[in-house]
Amino acid sequence: MMSGGPLLVARELRKSYGPTPALDGAEFSVRTGEVVAVMGPSGSGKSTLLHCLAGIVTPDSGTVTYDGRGLSAMPDAERSALRRTEFGFIFQFGQLVPELTCVENVALPLRLTGVKRREAERTALHWMDRLEVADLGPKRPGEVSGGQGQRVAVARSLVTSPRVIFADEPTGALDSFNGERVMTLLTEAARSSNTAVVLVTHEVRVAAYSDREVVVRDGKARDMTLERTK
Amino acid sequence: MSRLSALVLGARFALFGGREGWTRTLLTAVGVGLGVALLLATTAIPGALSERAARNTAREVPTAGVGAGSGADTLLIGLAETSYQGKWIRGRLLQPEGPEAPVPPGVTALPGKSEMVVSPALKSVLDSPGGALLRERLPYRVTGTIKDAGLLGPREMAYYAGSDTLASRKAASGDRSGITRVKAFDSQGAQQKIDPVLALLIVIIFVVLLMPVAVFIAAAVRFGGERRDRRLAALRLVGADRRGARRIAAGEALAGSVLGLALGTAFFLMGRQFVGDISVGDLNVFPRDVDPSPLLAMLVALAVPSAAVGVTLLALRGVVIEPLGVVRASTPRRRRMWWRLLPPLAGLGMLAPLMGRGRDHGTFNQVQVVSGAALLLIGVTALLPWLVEAVVRRLGSGGGVSWQLAVRRLQMSSGTAARLTNGIAVAVAGAIALQMLFSALEAEYVKRTGADTSRAQMEVPMGHLTPVEKSRQIRTLQETKGVTGTTTLGSAELGDRPRDPSLPTDMTIGSCTELSEVAELPSCQDGDVFLAQGGASSSNPVRSGAKLYFDPSLDDHKGIALPWTVPANIRDAQTRPDPAGAHRSGILATPGAVANAMRTPVFYTTYVQLDPHDGQAQDRVLNAAAANDPLERARVLREYGTTHQFANVRDGLYIGATAVLILIGASLLVSMLEQLRDRKKLLSALVAFGTRRTTLSWSVLWQTTVPVMLGLALATGIGLVLGAVLLRMTGRPVTVDWLPVAATAGMGGGVVLLVTALSLPPLWRLMRPDGLRTE
Repeated sequence: MMSGGPLLVARELRKSYGPTPALDGAEFSVRTGEVVAVMGPSGSGKSTLLHCLAGIVTPDSGTVTYDGRGLSAMPDAERSALRRTEFGFIFQFGQLVPELTCVENVALPLRLTGVKRREAERTALHWMDRLEVADLGPKRPGEVSGGQGQRVAVARSLVTSPRVIFADEPTGALDSFNGERVMTLLTEAARSSNTAVVLVTHEVRVAAYSDREVVVRDGKARDMTLERTK
Repeated sequence: MSRLSALVLGARFALFGGREGWTRTLLTAVGVGLGVALLLATTAIPGALSERAARNTAREVPTAGVGAGSGADTLLIGLAETSYQGKWIRGRLLQPEGPEAPVPPGVTALPGKSEMVVSPALKSVLDSPGGALLRERLPYRVTGTIKDAGLLGPREMAYYAGSDTLASRKAASGDRSGITRVKAFDSQGAQQKIDPVLALLIVIIFVVLLMPVAVFIAAAVRFGGERRDRRLAALRLVGADRRGARRIAAGEALAGSVLGLALGTAFFLMGRQFVGDISVGDLNVFPRDVDPSPLLAMLVALAVPSAAVGVTLLALRGVVIEPLGVVRASTPRRRRMWWRLLPPLAGLGMLAPLMGRGRDHGTFNQVQVVSGAALLLIGVTALLPWLVEAVVRRLGSGGGVSWQLAVRRLQMSSGTAARLTNGIAVAVAGAIALQMLFSALEAEYVKRTGADTSRAQMEVPMGHLTPVEKSRQIRTLQETKGVTGTTTLGSAELGDRPRDPSLPTDMTIGSCTELSEVAELPSCQDGDVFLAQGGASSSNPVRSGAKLYFDPSLDDHKGIALPWTVPANIRDAQTRPDPAGAHRSGILATPGAVANAMRTPVFYTTYVQLDPHDGQAQDRVLNAAAANDPLERARVLREYGTTHQFANVRDGLYIGATAVLILIGASLLVSMLEQLRDRKKLLSALVAFGTRRTTLSWSVLWQTTVPVMLGLALATGIGLVLGAVLLRMTGRPVTVDWLPVAATAGMGGGVVLLVTALSLPPLWRLMRPDGLRTE
C-alpha cells in the first residue's frame, strides 16, 4: 500500500572516495510503503547511495530529504536518533552481534531507544515469530544457519516499526531457497506495516520482489520503471 | 603435505603472505622482540654486577693496610671522597713512599704532587661551565685519565690526586689519620658479601619481573589469531587436512618468534649502547659488562620459539577450522578448578621448607625460591580464566545495553578477557608480595639517622685544631656564600692519668649557645661546666675535684698531658641530640672553664645552616671544607639513611617494574586493537542502526573492567600469600600495609584504564561507516 508523496528524496548526490567518484549526480526517491530495488554492477555506487540515503555517509554535494527534513544539515546525533527510531537495516552477512542471543539481537534497536529489556524482548519475539524464527530466541548467531540468521536480521530491522528499511544485498550470502524465503518474509512484513524498503541487490530475482527498480551505473541512478513506461 | 613443507608454508605465509600477513608477523615479532630484549637484559644483569664487583675489589685496599713499615714498594692512600651537585665522587690522595709503589688499576702512572688523574665523567664535569665550583675544590692539574679497568661504570666520577702531606700526617696521627699504607691494590677477602635476605629479594624481583614478560610473549604470539584462523580455513577449503593446518599455523608462529628473537637481539644490542648513560642509584655499568651468559641466551633462544609454537597449538585446540572455510569456536568445556590449584599449591610446597631460614641469616636455595615463587605466580594465570568464567556466567544481562553487550561478550569468550588481564594480574601479584617484603625490610635498611635538618643541614669535621686555626676555619665557613649560621663544638678525651690512661672521659667544648645545641642548660655563662645526663654512660664516673688530663696520646697526637680539675660547681644538664643526631656524654665545658688546659689541639666539628634558596650553598661549603682539609669529609645531613645495597635493589626494582608495566600496557593495547579491528564491520553496522558511541565505549570499558577487577582481586590474594610466605621465610612477622597494596593494585588498574582510554579513539574511528564498504 503506497500513499502520498515521496518519503525519502535524494537530489544531485555526489560522493567520491579519494579520486574515485562513487556517485555522480544520483537522483532517488521512495514513497511510504514502496519497495524499491537499487540495482547495478559491483562498484557502481549502489551501497554508497544507500548509505547516503540512510544518513550514514554524508554526500560531498546534493541533498537528501526525509519527510521534509534535510538529512545533510542534521547533526550526527540527530541522524543517529533518526536511524534508531525511523530506519531499519539489513546487511549482507546479517551483522548480528555474535555474543548476544538471537532475541537479544532483535531487541537491541528497541533497547537503544530506551525500551526496557523485558518489553523489548517481548516485541522482539513477536517479530521473530512473524519471521518464523521464534524458536531461535535463546541461541547465539553462531549456532544458527545463514538463512535463519538473515531472518533474525530482518526481524531486527522491523522491530522498531521503522518507516524505511535499508537492505544491502540481504540475500547475497544465501542460497536461492533461503534467499527467496527471506525476501518473501521481508516484503510481506514491510508491506503489511506500510514500511518503505530500499533494497540494494544485483540479482534480478531479488529485484522482482520490488515495486520499482532503479539502476545505478557510473554513479548515476536511472528509474527503470519510468523508462519502461516511456 | 610433509611436516617440513607445512612448516615452511606457514613461514612463507607469515613473511610473504601479503600486507595482512606480514603486518601480523611484524606485530608478533616486535612483541616477542621486546620480551626477548628484556629477557636478555635480565639474564645479563648478574654478569654485569659481577664484573663491576670484580673491578671494585681490584681497586680497593684492605682497610688495615700492610702495617707500619714504609718501603720502596709502599704507597700511602687517604680517602678524599666528596660529592658535587648531590653526586658522589670517589677520591683518593696518593703518596708513594718509594719507586716501586703500586699503581691503581686503570692508571698508568701515579700523579705527582698537585696533579690528578680523573675519570672521563669527572673530566667532562670539570671541563664544563657548570663545573667551576668543583674545579675550585679539586685544584689539581689533570695529567691523565682513569681507564675503564679502574672504574665501576662510565658515569662514575673518580680521581686520584698526588699529595706530599700524607706521610707526615700518618706519622703524627697514626691509624686515626685514616691514611692506609699498602703494597698492592686488591681488597680480596674484604669483599662485601650480599646479605642473604637482600639476595632473596633480588631473586624474587627477577621472578616478579620476568613472569609478566613470559605472559607478554605468550600474548604476543597470539596477535592476529582470528585472522590466521580464517586463513587456515581457506587452506582447508583447498585440501589441507586438520593436522596440516595446525602445522602451517606452527610454521607461522615459528617464523614470527624467530623474527622476534632476531629483533629482540637487535633491540638488546641497540639498547646496550645506552646502558652507560643510565644510572640506577649509584649503579652504572659499561655496555660491554651487559653480556648475557651463553647458556642463558641459548635457553632464551630455544624457549621462546618453543613457547610460541606451544601457545599457538594450544590456542588452536579451542577453534574448529572446517573444510568449508568456516571458523568457529569449539564447544567450550567448562573450566575445572582442581588442576588449576596445583601450580600455586606446588609453589607453596616448595617455599614452605624455607620458612624461618632468614632468621638466623641462613641462605636460600635459589632454584627452590625461583620455582616456588614462579609456580605461585603461574597460579594467577591458571586460576584467572576459571574465575572470570565462573563469575561472568553468573552475571545477569540486566542493566543498560552497554552492560549487556559487555557481559554477553565476556560470557562468550571469557578466555580472551582473562588472557588480556593475565599480564597485569601477575605483575600486580608479584609487586604486592615484593611490597610486603620491602615494607618489612625497610625498617632494617632505611633507618632514621637522628639528624635534625631544621637545625643544621651540613656537618663539617675540621680536625684537630689550635684555637687560632679553629677561628680561621670557622671564619672561612661563616663567610661562605649561602651559609646562614654555624655551631662549632670541640671534642676531647680526658685521661685519668698523665700517661697511658685507662678510663677516658668525653668532653664537649663550646659556648653557652653552642652547648645548648647538645643539652638543656639550666643557666649558663662562660666558665661553667656541666655533667651530661641521659647520654651514653661515661666509662669513668666524673666527681667534682677529680683531676683529669688532656692527653694528646688518646688521639694519637704527640704532646704533654695537661691537668684539669673537675670544678666543684659542676651541674647536671640533660642532653639532647646534636644536629647530626648524636648524644654527647661526659663533661660539657664552656671555653672559659678549660682555657688554661687547652694547649693541645682539640677536634672540632661545625654544624652549618644553609640558605635553602641557594642551590650551590652545599658545594661552596664542601669547597671551603676541602680547602681546610681534603681528608676530612664534610657531609650533608639527612634524616633517613639507606644502605647502598638496599637503595640499589629498590631503584632497580622501580626501573624494572616501569619497563614491565610499559611492556604489558603495550601488549594490552595491541591485543585490544586487534579485537576491535576484527569487529570493524560489526561496529559499523551497530553505528548504522543508531547505536551511540558512548554505548559502545562503555561496553568496551565494562568488558575490560570486569576481568581486570577479578584479576586484581585474585592477584591481591595470591600476592598476599606469596608476600606472607616470603616474610615467614625471612623470619619477619607477617603484617600487611594495606595502603601500598591498594596502591599497587590501583596502579595495575590504572594501566588498564589508560590502555582502554587509548583504545577509544581507534574504536571511534572503527565505528565510521567505511567499515560497511565492501568494495
